[in-house]
Amino acid sequence: MTNMQGRAQRPGSLTRRQAVAYAVAALATASLMSTTAFAQTVDLSQWSPEYVRSIAGTKQFDATKDCGAVVPNDYAGRVSYWYTGPFEADPQIAHEQDKAFWEAFKAAYPNIETDVQSITYNELLDKFRTALLGNAAPMVIRLQILGGVEFAAKGYLQPLTPEDVGYTAADFWPGALKSVTYEGTTYGLPTNNETMALIWNAKIFKDAGLDPENPPATWDDVVAYSKTIHDKLGIAGYGLVAKQNAGNTPFRFMPQLWAYGGGALDEASPNPTYTKVEINNDGSKAALQAAYQMYVVDKSVPVSALTNTQAENQAPFIAGQLGMMIAHPAEYAKMVDLASKATGADKAVADDVVANMRYGLIPTGPDGKRAVVFGGSNIHVVKPEFVEGGQSDEQAVKALICFWNSPEWSTKLAWVGSNPGNINGFLTDAMKERLDTIKFLDVTTSMLPNGIPFPVIPQAPEIMNIIVPDMLQNALTENMTVDEAANDAATKIEAIIGSGGGL
Amino acid sequence: MSSVEKQAIFRDVPGFVPKRPSFGQKIWRSRADYLYVAPAILVMLVVIAYPIYYTIELSFFNTPASLSLADKQFNGIDNYVTILTSPVFWKVTWQTIVWTVLSTFFAFLLGLGAALALHREFVGRALLRGLLLIPWVISAVAASYVWKWLYHSDFGAIGAALVQLGITDRPINFIDNSTSALYSLIVVNVWKEFSFAMIMLMAGLQTVPDSLLRAAQVDGANPWQRFWHVTFPHLSGVSTVTILLLVVQNFNSFIIPFIMTGGGPVGSTQIWITHIYELAFLRQRWGVGAAYAVLLFIIMMTLGYFYVRALTRGDESRAGA
Repeated sequence: MTNMQGRAQRPGSLTRRQAVAYAVAALATASLMSTTAFAQTVDLSQWSPEYVRSIAGTKQFDATKDCGAVVPNDYAGRVSYWYTGPFEADPQIAHEQDKAFWEAFKAAYPNIETDVQSITYNELLDKFRTALLGNAAPMVIRLQILGGVEFAAKGYLQPLTPEDVGYTAADFWPGALKSVTYEGTTYGLPTNNETMALIWNAKIFKDAGLDPENPPATWDDVVAYSKTIHDKLGIAGYGLVAKQNAGNTPFRFMPQLWAYGGGALDEASPNPTYTKVEINNDGSKAALQAAYQMYVVDKSVPVSALTNTQAENQAPFIAGQLGMMIAHPAEYAKMVDLASKATGADKAVADDVVANMRYGLIPTGPDGKRAVVFGGSNIHVVKPEFVEGGQSDEQAVKALICFWNSPEWSTKLAWVGSNPGNINGFLTDAMKERLDTIKFLDVTTSMLPNGIPFPVIPQAPEIMNIIVPDMLQNALTENMTVDEAANDAATKIEAIIGSGGGL
Repeated sequence: MSSVEKQAIFRDVPGFVPKRPSFGQKIWRSRADYLYVAPAILVMLVVIAYPIYYTIELSFFNTPASLSLADKQFNGIDNYVTILTSPVFWKVTWQTIVWTVLSTFFAFLLGLGAALALHREFVGRALLRGLLLIPWVISAVAASYVWKWLYHSDFGAIGAALVQLGITDRPINFIDNSTSALYSLIVVNVWKEFSFAMIMLMAGLQTVPDSLLRAAQVDGANPWQRFWHVTFPHLSGVSTVTILLLVVQNFNSFIIPFIMTGGGPVGSTQIWITHIYELAFLRQRWGVGAAYAVLLFIIMMTLGYFYVRALTRGDESRAGA
C-alpha cells in the first residue's frame, strides 16, 4: 500500500540518496504499471444514453487472469471482509450474483480462505466502529460512499490507490475517487456508483398542458411546471422532500443547490478544499428561494414535505397524485412492484402511472449547470493493528479487491440498483444485458458524469443530514427568511468545521 | 450472650436504649439476601454500571469527528456549559416538560375513566377491555407509522374525513406545522399509553372494599362522593406509582417523535432523548451527547428515588410491627 509519510525537502536540492530513491521509484512504477490489469477505453467526454448503449458488450474481460497478474492465482492466504450483501427483500438476481462472485473468487484463488460477513446497511457502521475500538475489525470493508471518511480521518484505514490493485485512476469516475480521498490521500476504491434522475408522470404533464415527453429543462422550469400542475389539476407538482434528520433531504436538495451555483462548502468545485463555506452564497440562496416559492408561495408541493422522506412520495406518485420527483434508478422497479400489489380501481390507476412513467436528466441551473449527488459504495483496507488478530494478509486483501473491482464483477455485483465502480464495466456483456432488461438504465447512468460527492470530511453527515434540512425547514416554515436561514446554516457549518459547534 | 440477645432481653427494661446495629451488622444479618441477588448485581455491573461510568467519563471530553475515541480531548465541564447555556437546550427542555406533563396527565385521566367504566359489570366488558388494550400491545414503531398516515397533511384519513364531513375546507396540517406538531404527537402518545394506566388502576380498584362503598351508599353518599371519599383514597398508592412510571416513560420517549417527525418541523417536536440521539449518533458529538445523557440520568435517578419510596411506603412500619 502507499506510504504517505512525506518529508520536507529543500527546493532544487537532490542528494545522492534521493537520486537513488527516484531511480528505485521509477523502476517500481514501471513494475507496477506492468501489473496494471486494464487500460481505460471509455470516453467520458461522449457520455450519453446512446453512448452507454453503444459501448456495452464490446469488450471481454477475464478477472481471474487479470487479477492473477496482480496477485498470483496460487497464492495461499486468508482475508476477512464485511459488506452489505443481498438480504431477504432483495431480488433473486442479487442473491445469485453474490453467490456466483464468491464461487468465482474461490475458483480463481483456491488457496485464499475467506471470512465474509454480510451486515445490514443500518448496522454496518456501528458494528465497524465498535470492532475498531476492540481491534476486532475485518481486513477489508465495503462502506457507503461517505462512510469511509470518518475512519480515514480517525486513522483506521490504510492508504489504498487504484494502482495498488492493478488499476489506474482513469478506471474510475473522478467524482467517485474524490469520495475516497481525504486530505490528499486515497483510502479506498469505488465499487459501485449511481446517481439519481428526474421521474415524471407523462399523463399528468399532458393533462396540465405541458409537454408529456420532455421534463423541465431547468430548476426554474421545475418551479413553473409544479405550479402549473397544481393550479390546473389540484395535485402536487413536484415531490419536495425536507424532513429533518433524513439523508433523503440532501440527496434531493443538493442537486438543486449546486445547479444554482451554491454548495455547502466548495464540494462542487473541481478541486475542493472543504474549507470555504458556500451555503449562504447567491446560488445557495436562489435554490432555497425556489424551494420557498414552491412550498410557501405557490403551495405546489406536498404540505407534508416537512415530514416526508422519498418513501412517502411513492404512494402519491403511484396513485397519480404527484407530477414529478427526483428518484433513484431503482424507483421504476419499485413502482412496478407497487402497481403489482394494487387492487381494484387502484390497480388500473397504478398500471396507468407505470405506463406513463418517464425518466429524464436532472434539470440544470440558470447557467446550464447540471449536478447530482454521487452515490455508491467504496472498498477500504483496515490497518493491521485494528484487525482481529493484529495481522492483515496484504496479498489476499489485494486479490479480493482486484477481483471485486474487476469490470465483470463490479458490474454484476451492482446489478439491481447501481452501476460498476470500474467504468470498464460499461463495456461488458453484463452491462449490455442490464441495459436490455432494466428500463431507463441508460438514462440514469447518463447522469454519472454530473455526480458530485458530498464534502469528504468527517463532519459531512452533520452538515448534510442536520444543517441542510434545518435550513430548509427554517425557510419553509417561515421561522426565518431565506437569507436568515442560509446565514444561520453558514454559521453552523463554520462552527463545526472550526471548533466543533454548539448544540 | 450476643448483643442481639442482650437487646432482646433488656428491651422492656425502663431506660434501656437499644443499640442500633452497625452497617456491617445489617449486611451480615441479610447475607443470604445479598447472596441471592449477587448474580443479578454482577450482571448489572457489567451491562449497566460500566456504560454509566463510561458515559460520565466521556462527558468530560471533547470528541471531534476527526479524532478516534482513543484520542478524545479532556475539556472539563465544557460540555455541560455548552448544553446549559444553549437556547436550544432550554427550548428542548420546555418541549420535554410539555410532552411529559400533558402525556402523563391525559393518559392517567383517560386510564382512570376507562378503569372506572370497566370496573362495573356489563355485557361485552371483557371484549371492550381487550380492545382498549390494543394501543398498549402493538409496537410503537407500527403505531407511529399508522398515525403518520392518519395525520398526513395531504392524504391523511383524519383530514379526508373532516373534509368529507364538511368540518374543514382542506386537510388539517397536524404534523407539518411547528405550532401543532408537538400536541398532535402528544395525542398519539396518550392513545398509546392510557391502556397502561387503565390496567394499573383496574388492579387498584380491586382493592377498594365493597363493604365501604355499600356503607357509604347506605349513609346517603352520591356516586361522586363515593368515588371521591372512598374509591379515590384507596387508589392513591397505585396512582402515585402509575404517574411516576408514566413520567419516567415519557421523559424517555423516543420512537413516536423520531419516526413521525424526526424532531421537526424546525425542532418543534425535539425532546431530550431524540436530541441526545441526534447529537451522539447523527452528529457524532459523543462528548456533548454523553453530558446531556448524564443530566437526564440525574433527573431519572431523582424520579426513580421517589418511585421506590412510593413503592416501599409502609414497608418499614410493617416490618417493625
